Amino acid sequence: MSRKQKISLSEEELVLALRNREKIAIEALYDMYSSSLYGVISRIIIDTPTSEDVLQETFVKIWHSFSSYSTEKGRLFTWMINIARNLAIDKLRSKDFKNQNKNQELENNVTSIDEQINTIYKPELLGIKDLVETLKPEQKSILDLVYFKGYTHVEAAEELGIPLGTIKTRLRMAIQQLRKHFN
Amino acid sequence: METGILELYVLGDISPQEKLQVEEMVAKHPLIKAELEEIELSMELFAQENAIEPNEALRSRILNSVLTNFNDDSTFSTVANKIEDNVISLPAAKSSSFYKYAFAACLALLLASGVALISLYGKLQDSYTQIATLQTNNQHFANQVNFKEGELQVLRDTSFKFLKLQGTAHSPDAGLTVAWSPARKKVWIDLRSLKMPVNDSTHQYQLWALVGGKPVDLGVFDKTADSTDMKEMKSTALADAFAVTLEPKGGSVSPTMDQMMVVGKF
Repeated sequence: MSRKQKISLSEEELVLALRNREKIAIEALYDMYSSSLYGVISRIIIDTPTSEDVLQETFVKIWHSFSSYSTEKGRLFTWMINIARNLAIDKLRSKDFKNQNKNQELENNVTSIDEQINTIYKPELLGIKDLVETLKPEQKSILDLVYFKGYTHVEAAEELGIPLGTIKTRLRMAIQQLRKHFN
Repeated sequence: METGILELYVLGDISPQEKLQVEEMVAKHPLIKAELEEIELSMELFAQENAIEPNEALRSRILNSVLTNFNDDSTFSTVANKIEDNVISLPAAKSSSFYKYAFAACLALLLASGVALISLYGKLQDSYTQIATLQTNNQHFANQVNFKEGELQVLRDTSFKFLKLQGTAHSPDAGLTVAWSPARKKVWIDLRSLKMPVNDSTHQYQLWALVGGKPVDLGVFDKTADSTDMKEMKSTALADAFAVTLEPKGGSVSPTMDQMMVVGKF
């Protein structure tokens, strides 16, 4: 906690600073969004060094292709989470990553399986408890697959064994629940 | 709006054409834009609720890589390095055992050559001793040959006269042969023909020449048990007679007449 106070700007100020390629812009961007973006990436890629690499690639790509973002298209975060999700899925499907997974040693698997199944109390997930009550379990699992893990609704339908129409309805219902919750 | 396309747009689960349609609609209708923003905001808050704080150290690493453009750092993954390390370590292990054997072989060779060197050195010393012995022998033979040549010269030279000295009343059995060349002024005696008792360590026999009635010293000689050589004495050009007396060791200036052993005249 030696680091100074996290930098926070309004979205308009941040977009302007990013356009002018100011140093403070990338620092503010990191402080404001790194944990949200890392939440998505680390749900797609469990291996920590790789998910950290993807977070780095995400910020590099945001910085270099910022000219392709415009406020007309929507909020900054929507644009950024799409970049993060796509990079993570690309990495997951890349040849390197698949080979790496094949060659994982038994010891590593034991620890990563431990990490996956254990139920350590995580303070960053503290707010979820309200949401779990807000969202029905089937709504939550669909949002999880599509929003965090980057499944298309077609893939989610196959995964959950539910008709495509039901998926779409449940997605809308879930998002409306969220809107109510946050308002 | 009721089809849920805005939700799919926010979720990123939409085709490029549909995406363009939504962006067009949003640009035209402020109401749709407001609806979209509300969906976006709630999803953004939902993501915040599910946020996971990355490692502290990651902040400076990522900010540095963005600001210095080293955006392909990630291609050098630590796993690739580990594999490379393994490959390198194999031949190193092989070569180390090779050098171990090579070193052992070198030591064995060194020991063997040391032993060979010591035995060769011993043989070399033996050879030196033999050579020294042979040289001494060679010298001895050369001397002997020279001496025999001198003897032969006396026998071949016709200017030499031989005189057999007869025993006196003091020692009737004594005898000695003398060779003399007046032209060459040389006198030899033949020790083989010497018939006299062996002299003790304080006395020696002395040869005299009588020249005009006076005795002239021609040197001393010894009688030993095995003396067989000829011996060259002091030179003289004139001699009427030769005689031998027994004198104290080293010889005397004038002969002791009662110790005269032999005498002979020309």
